[in-house]
Amino acid sequence: MRQSLSMTRLLAFLVLALPLAAADLRQLNIDSFDQVWNTIRDRHWDPKLGGLDWQKVREELRPRIEQAATAEEARAILREMLGGLGHSHLGIIPAEAYGHMDPKGASREGSTGVNVRVIGGAALVVSVEPGSPAAEAGVRPGWEIRAIDGQDLAPALAAIPEGTRGKRWEGVWLTSLVMNRLAGSPGTAAEVTFRAGNRPVAAVIVRTRRRGTVYRFGFLPPVYVWSETRRLGNVGYFAFNLFLDPQNVMTAAEKAITGCFECDGFIIDLRGNGGGVLGMTIGLAGWFVNESGRLGTLFTRDAKVHFLVSPRPEVYNGSLAILVDGMTGSSAEVFAGGMQDLKRARVFGSVTAGGALPAQIEKLPNGDALLYAFADYISEGGKRLEGAGVRPDVEIGLTREALLAGRDPVLEAALKWIESRKEGKP
Amino acid sequence: MRFASTALLTALCAAGIAAAADPLPKAEAIIEKYIAATGGRAAAEKLHSQVLTGTIEMVGKGVTGTVMVYRAAPNKALSIVEFGGLGKAEEGTDGQVAWTRSAIAGPRVKEGSEKAFSLRGAVFNGDLRWRELYDKAEVVGLETVDGRSCYKVVMTPKGEGETVTRYYDKESGLVTKVLMTLKSPQGEIPIESIPSDYRKSGDLLLPHKLTQRVMGNEIVTTFTSVQNNPELAADRFALPPDIKALLEKKQK
Repeated sequence: MRQSLSMTRLLAFLVLALPLAAADLRQLNIDSFDQVWNTIRDRHWDPKLGGLDWQKVREELRPRIEQAATAEEARAILREMLGGLGHSHLGIIPAEAYGHMDPKGASREGSTGVNVRVIGGAALVVSVEPGSPAAEAGVRPGWEIRAIDGQDLAPALAAIPEGTRGKRWEGVWLTSLVMNRLAGSPGTAAEVTFRAGNRPVAAVIVRTRRRGTVYRFGFLPPVYVWSETRRLGNVGYFAFNLFLDPQNVMTAAEKAITGCFECDGFIIDLRGNGGGVLGMTIGLAGWFVNESGRLGTLFTRDAKVHFLVSPRPEVYNGSLAILVDGMTGSSAEVFAGGMQDLKRARVFGSVTAGGALPAQIEKLPNGDALLYAFADYISEGGKRLEGAGVRPDVEIGLTREALLAGRDPVLEAALKWIESRKEGKP
Repeated sequence: MRFASTALLTALCAAGIAAAADPLPKAEAIIEKYIAATGGRAAAEKLHSQVLTGTIEMVGKGVTGTVMVYRAAPNKALSIVEFGGLGKAEEGTDGQVAWTRSAIAGPRVKEGSEKAFSLRGAVFNGDLRWRELYDKAEVVGLETVDGRSCYKVVMTPKGEGETVTRYYDKESGLVTKVLMTLKSPQGEIPIESIPSDYRKSGDLLLPHKLTQRVMGNEIVTTFTSVQNNPELAADRFALPPDIKALLEKKQK
């Protein structure tokens, strides 16, 4: 009887509490809407917001946020609001991302170890991390991913949203779609159907924790950061996935560069590097210049800041090649484009993502976070990389045939150029 | 007629306001009042070194860290800021060379206006010796800061550098706001600083909180510990090896 009474009380409490929780969520969504609207009004670098009638946007969307019953509905409205501004580095980061999860609560911490690019409409494996589950399963570069966990990729790859189709960031969208489907909780299996050459191969790949170490900074969701140093004959090679974790990445870069002062050339591989802390671009550039220079200028409402590169006490004076692709974004574009403008590096690969705006993240009352660009960026050569990207000096893409043959045409072109410079050719 | 009356009324009001307003004091008097309010010249002159320890936060960005400031007479300074995830950033001067270095951007020797700004800031008890540092200090008006009436004093540095505008509380004499533009090869960055939470440290009154607004960001430094006249290691303000190397490279 006592238990029954207790249960009744509990149920009564829940019945009363649930509508209250929904009402609370609604208010938090409204408060979040107001914060996003105010932040963009007050902090966006362009006070005119590109001619967008921001008050009208509010009048149209605020009644809808008042009716939003779920976090997902609220996010869609907020993204619609931000979408009107039409540039990168604007977004709503779901609260779940802070726990390495997707918006549905599924973990994103596990990886198969394959690195993918969508080339010619096909999701191709461009590299396989050594020792990863995919490597152990025998997956090879050039294999095409046809289905993941029983779902064909083709329809998803064809369903490019209207605002993305044909845009500079279409490749980022497509690649992210495939990589997100491959990600999951460590220990879980991804059932992947490949086309290896012309024969289908089905593989069950048990995901392990992503490559690198977890890095946390401010309200940035936790990310895995890695760097890799290699020696290709007498050419130094340094790759890293994000301009983050400066203590580890900059230390690794210093070791790679200072250990290679006598090398014939040095290659910085920024393919897939999504950017990060802008200041790291000048710190890295300082190892390669003898004179102070700029990697570009950042414009906020009340100041303009030049990305001043100061030479290190000792610098590398040899040939420098930077490798980029359509997944090279943000700070990585600033570095590649800036070094290109300074005529200190030759850039190889394909046009970068074209999303190069300095941004910040602030938390919203409903637990999500707002990513917003607070400054515009113009390269030292007077180019606006946003929407355009960095055009390599030597444009060269990956092909399935080359990947299947175990070749990396972009890296090969850089090595060939370094070799030619060694021989005194232009 | 109505116009004439209105004009007369306006003139009378203006005259009344002018008659009611106190004449502005001289900047020298305002600065002396500030020195007295913070403990007095004699107490300040007993101080020859200081170590401040605290926390630093970029408000609303989830970025926090620690801060250590070392200062010593006559003109040495070193500040070390360590934001979680960004590594260490240091700025210092031995009285001759002003420098900065960080895990992110590497080392750099300051020059020109930026160097002058750092050297001026490092002068120990700079308020007592302000005439050595500034050509002139002018009171340009009264303004309200955080609800309090304050004298607005514009200080023009000797040599290179930008003017600094300080707001002194009319009643307490304490500095309530500082406006300046930091000029460096990176550009000109306006900075607003709000010192607050004045508390006693020894015989002196010090602001234990500093709120700075830079490029739309608010950065709050809270000093949790202040050591007056601590013994500092002889090499505390020595130039770091990479700064020395940069100077040697420049001389070659």
